[in-house]
Amino acid sequence: MVDALISVDDLGYSYCGRQHLFHGVSFALHAGERLAVLGDNGVGKTTLLSLLVGLRKARSGSITAFGTRCESEAEFVAVRKRVGYVFQDPDDQLFCPTVLEDLCFGPINLGMSEAEAVDVSRAMLEQLGIASLADKVSFQLSGGQKRIVTLASVLVMQPDVLLLDEPTNALDAHARERLLSTLLELPQAMIVVSHDKDFVESLATRSCTLQPAGLMAPLRPVVA
Amino acid sequence: MHVVDGVLSAPVLLAGAGVALAGTAVGLRTLDHRNLPVTGVLSATFFVASLIHVPLGPSSVHLVLNGLLGLLLGWLAFPAVLVAAALQAVFFGYGGLFVLGVNVANVALPAVLLGALLRPWIWREGALGTGCAFTLGAGSVLATSLLVALSLAFSGEAFWVAAKLTVLSHLPVALIEGFLCVAALALVRRVRPGFLAEAWQS
Amino acid sequence: MALGHSSAAWNGQALSRDGGQLAAFDPRLKLMLSIGFALAVVLVESTALKALFAVVGLSLCVIAGIPRAKLLRRIAALEGFMVLMVLLLPFTVPGPTLFSVGGLHASWTGLHQGVDILLTATAVVAGLMALVGSLPANVLGQTLASFGVPERLVALLMLTVRYLDVVGGEYRRMRNSMRARAFVAGTNRHTWRSVGHLVGMGLLRSIDRAERVTDAMRCRGFDGRYPILYPFRWQLHDTVAALASALVLIGVVMWSMP
Repeated sequence: MVDALISVDDLGYSYCGRQHLFHGVSFALHAGERLAVLGDNGVGKTTLLSLLVGLRKARSGSITAFGTRCESEAEFVAVRKRVGYVFQDPDDQLFCPTVLEDLCFGPINLGMSEAEAVDVSRAMLEQLGIASLADKVSFQLSGGQKRIVTLASVLVMQPDVLLLDEPTNALDAHARERLLSTLLELPQAMIVVSHDKDFVESLATRSCTLQPAGLMAPLRPVVA
Repeated sequence: MHVVDGVLSAPVLLAGAGVALAGTAVGLRTLDHRNLPVTGVLSATFFVASLIHVPLGPSSVHLVLNGLLGLLLGWLAFPAVLVAAALQAVFFGYGGLFVLGVNVANVALPAVLLGALLRPWIWREGALGTGCAFTLGAGSVLATSLLVALSLAFSGEAFWVAAKLTVLSHLPVALIEGFLCVAALALVRRVRPGFLAEAWQS
Repeated sequence: MALGHSSAAWNGQALSRDGGQLAAFDPRLKLMLSIGFALAVVLVESTALKALFAVVGLSLCVIAGIPRAKLLRRIAALEGFMVLMVLLLPFTVPGPTLFSVGGLHASWTGLHQGVDILLTATAVVAGLMALVGSLPANVLGQTLASFGVPERLVALLMLTVRYLDVVGGEYRRMRNSMRARAFVAGTNRHTWRSVGHLVGMGLLRSIDRAERVTDAMRCRGFDGRYPILYPFRWQLHDTVAALASALVLIGVVMWSMP
């Protein structure tokens, strides 16, 4: 069996001192998979994603990414270079004046020069068919445009895994369709957190449910 | 750059309190229910900025951002800094009680003056605007550290060395704030070209 | 780049603190007492008394329910900037030699002054945090108003507290999204430009939010005045506590005077 890209064993999280948000979460993500995580509001889906890239510290359990067990910030910094995380609210992610600058931010963090970063960023915008947005002020884009731009801003780092947090939030039907077809063409393995049943059904290769009591339901094929 | 209680002499404390009181009074005269929320938000931003640390070599420094506050708020920067400094003292134990006036004056006065001085040119494109933005960020921090040093120096000869060290140690902080200010204002100018004309700015 | 140690401690705490054992006392008493306490600390000249006040202040913090670990971190942060200065004092104040290093004389007098400063600063701040810091922000605002602090300044205080979590949360989310894109802050231009952009974007978003809030408040008829909702109830034990602490503080100060 091929090693998992990301595997999680008995993971638990609780807010400082308070009761568990969830515990006993275990799963593995393999290349080519698109795993959907369903669950009620407040059950910790976003928290789960942020644990995977070390933005929060797990209370218990272990995270293994690309064959390395990750605990320290330094280990997670390495993970973040290979895992692209698209945040729920694009406004939290887009903080540079223009779209192009926002795209360059990640590649520069990977160690590219500014000129190289501009080249790969333009290429990525081209690839997603939004080259015309390059010099637009990201603050003023439409909701759908912002979503595609945030996706571009992590894809440009050529991640092996994508984490998507409620990607269809606040998108109209047209933007949603466009996002779906874009995502379906991507080679990356994905973990998608979403409420949008139809969207998940068309996108995910399997799904699971994060439950309040903690246990991740057994992984099973998508059921409506 | 908060001074604590027990250091400064009574005349310095009184002078600081006087400046803070006068500045706050001027600020409060222009504070009404229309610009109250924006002042509150910026005061909170100023508070949060003091908790943001950026690395400086092996150590780290926290942001001050008083220049931006002075540029955006004018005299309203005084009440905004007063509120933030009072909350910091009461909830976090930064600074103290009798030094509150000095701490407010040291931070707010350079910000208001530099803000007023640079406001006519700072939104220009090109080198002039960039230079003004850098001067605003770096100058406000530097002037604040100078005022802190003066407060110390006027309180006794024993503090002269500490006063000089205060200014020296804030030189790199001033440089960083200068660069930050340039980037922040460049962003504002490009994202919101009409920013200057917005109604709450008097 | 990180929010300082205290941000986690902040998180909504100011709005939800119960004041521990001190909650029963009238907030006006606590405010007056914190000022009286600070005044006494500054006025007494003996180091032993200053030390005693520092111990009393810190004990009040514990009684007020401020967790000890947080308290220590805050006191440490307070001293951070000042410690260097205090360390310098023995070398800059003339007096009987304590020790000498390479031609530099450290004086007892200077050490003494330095210790006095540390004790004074600690005692004042501890008293403030215990007595005033334990008040919920809205109560603090009303208390200040009842002492004649201008209404608009009080309104500004309340709004600032209201926005601390909002602005802090916004900053935290943006910073996390930067970290998620493999950003590691360093001493370089990329860091300063990125943090500058973060600050600029944060400012714009804050101002936009403030405008929406203004609109919403005006729709509900806001005219710059906050309603006073918290009924102050001065009770017998407040009078007793006020008299007792006034007696003790004045007594100690008088006694310490030459």
